[in-house]
Amino acid sequence: MPSRKTLALLALAAAALAPAFADETCNSPYTARLIKGQEHFLHVWTLGVQGLGDGSDKLVTIDVMPGSKTFGKVVHQLSVGGRGEAHHMGFTDDRKHLWAGRLDDNKIFVFDVGTDPARPKLVRTIDDLVKKTGYVGPHTFYALPGRMLIQALSNSKDHGGVTGMAVYNNQGRYVSRHDMPVGDSAMGKGDGYGYDIAINPQKNLLLTSSFTGWTNYMMDMGKLIADAEAMKRFGGTMALWDLKAMKPQKVFQVPGAPLEIRWSLKEGDNWAISATALTSKLWLIKQDASGQWQARDVATIGDPAKIPLPVDISITADGKGLWVNTFMDGKTRYFDLSNPEAPRQTYEKVTGKQVNMVSQSWDGKRVYITSSLLANWDKKGDMDEQALRAYQWDGKALTPVFEVDFKAEKLGRAHHMKFSAKAGGASAALDAGAVRVAAR
Amino acid sequence: MNRRQATAALAGAACGGTLRAAQFEPGRGLVGLPKQDFRPPAAGSYRLPVIQQAPSGWVLEGNRWPRRLEGYTKGALTLLSFVYTYCTDPVGCPLAYAAMLEVRDRIRQQPGLRDRARLVSLSFDPTHDTPAAMQAYGGEHARARSPRWHFITTSSIERLSPILQGFGQDAEVERDDAGRPTRAITHVLKVFLLDPAGQVREIYSAAFLMPEVIVNDMLTLALASATEAP
Repeated sequence: MPSRKTLALLALAAAALAPAFADETCNSPYTARLIKGQEHFLHVWTLGVQGLGDGSDKLVTIDVMPGSKTFGKVVHQLSVGGRGEAHHMGFTDDRKHLWAGRLDDNKIFVFDVGTDPARPKLVRTIDDLVKKTGYVGPHTFYALPGRMLIQALSNSKDHGGVTGMAVYNNQGRYVSRHDMPVGDSAMGKGDGYGYDIAINPQKNLLLTSSFTGWTNYMMDMGKLIADAEAMKRFGGTMALWDLKAMKPQKVFQVPGAPLEIRWSLKEGDNWAISATALTSKLWLIKQDASGQWQARDVATIGDPAKIPLPVDISITADGKGLWVNTFMDGKTRYFDLSNPEAPRQTYEKVTGKQVNMVSQSWDGKRVYITSSLLANWDKKGDMDEQALRAYQWDGKALTPVFEVDFKAEKLGRAHHMKFSAKAGGASAALDAGAVRVAAR
Repeated sequence: MNRRQATAALAGAACGGTLRAAQFEPGRGLVGLPKQDFRPPAAGSYRLPVIQQAPSGWVLEGNRWPRRLEGYTKGALTLLSFVYTYCTDPVGCPLAYAAMLEVRDRIRQQPGLRDRARLVSLSFDPTHDTPAAMQAYGGEHARARSPRWHFITTSSIERLSPILQGFGQDAEVERDDAGRPTRAITHVLKVFLLDPAGQVREIYSAAFLMPEVIVNDMLTLALASATEAP
């Protein structure tokens, strides 16, 4: 039986020898098996386009291992049938399964990416979200131990933006629902909207942000912008929750649809950052001198008057930098976050006619971007390019490495990305033979 | 210290001393018990929804006849984790053990929990971890009461696998560069909190493994058990 002293020594040894893990920097802190070093595969949750290939939503797997014979190529595609507004994905806590949602028909697809990440398999389809919760638009998938926390965008009553979070266990069964805060209260004025989730385990805090409901996100963008009433129906809040109790504690007023949220990953940091889509600002969520959590805008992204539409962010592992993609001008921007109170843009590059998601490796040397925002919000005609682009980042400039043209490959609209890797050193299922040998 | 020496040290060491609280490092996993920089909400002020039902199965303890797993998952507030006796990963079984030990000590300070709680350590490796080996691993803790701490195993992988699957506990044997199985079993550290009906009400992975919070959750379940239907 290990003694406490031995355990303490082992903990100290582990602290000294902890390897530099590599992974995208936006996973749940409860996601295990972080990739050490180079990612092998990039999975892209792709929206089907009528008349393009089989027209179905699909999970596209790309080999991103330098030196591989299929480097930069699509090595697998798995169609799930139909088009339901494929959007975001998230790993389970053991990183064996990837949950992927559709914002229109509310289906959630569970892919096995642990057995053979080069060839994901569809193992489950969850279709009872609306029935169990009344929520619509499963957006963010955030691993908790043994279960998945899902942030929805809308509701089945009026298809507006009032919504909530659902919890399902890893076997795909419904566990609980949690409404977003609505109305005036001591915690602030909630609008009930939802978008992203980010957890700080050390503080027992959950942060949420807010976007818009089904009626808006399924509307043609040109029509939406012209509809003044519809444009009023965007979220303007972030909420701070007691994670254990799953109860909101404070609502911040953050006008202009705050989207992705990232806690700094640097040890000792306890602040988070988000970007507002419509007002083009970076917002910092941090404790003030009295220990109270506050949200305030700390930087401008491009020229807000031109509505560049920041749509995704990716924080560096050391919390010192932030990638920001702005959809309308097709720019990938880098902000110096050395002082999170005053972020400063130090680089920008046009990476496409339209750009949406941005993901970086843990070491920050590789940056991947995709093109599609929403099927009805993407640009039209020649401006509607669809691609995955991979870059090297040397701290000064993004250098193109490869590109997959999702139209030429007849795949669809490239949206959310997740990395995977072949098991390091390989492992075997826990079967009788393996354990007998292992136990010798 | 090589692996064999570490194993020997772990197997032979006596319990005592003070556990050093170590840090959770986001993105890198855990290098010890996670830092807890908050006061948990008051026991009973929040709910712990049912996550899943614990599976059925047959297990072995000491020199007893095989018993149903339900005998260890129902009838008490149960904290259960999977271990293997020769595990040396400091952020694996030893970390779970450290948390269990501290939880045990805290339970002893709670009159409302002392006789309503149990701890269970169930082996990943029935081939090596025989009932006798598990009793030896548990040492004096396997014989202590208030709360009881059961060190159990199974008779075969065939008996173990459905239990692992039922809990959603992954486990794989690591292979070396030549493809040969090693002695290491990789798994995501999970500690399961079950109510007296054998329902999983919380799961603690490394980032959540905070003894004060675990005991708070047990108190919450104890307070709720009087009003909740089984």
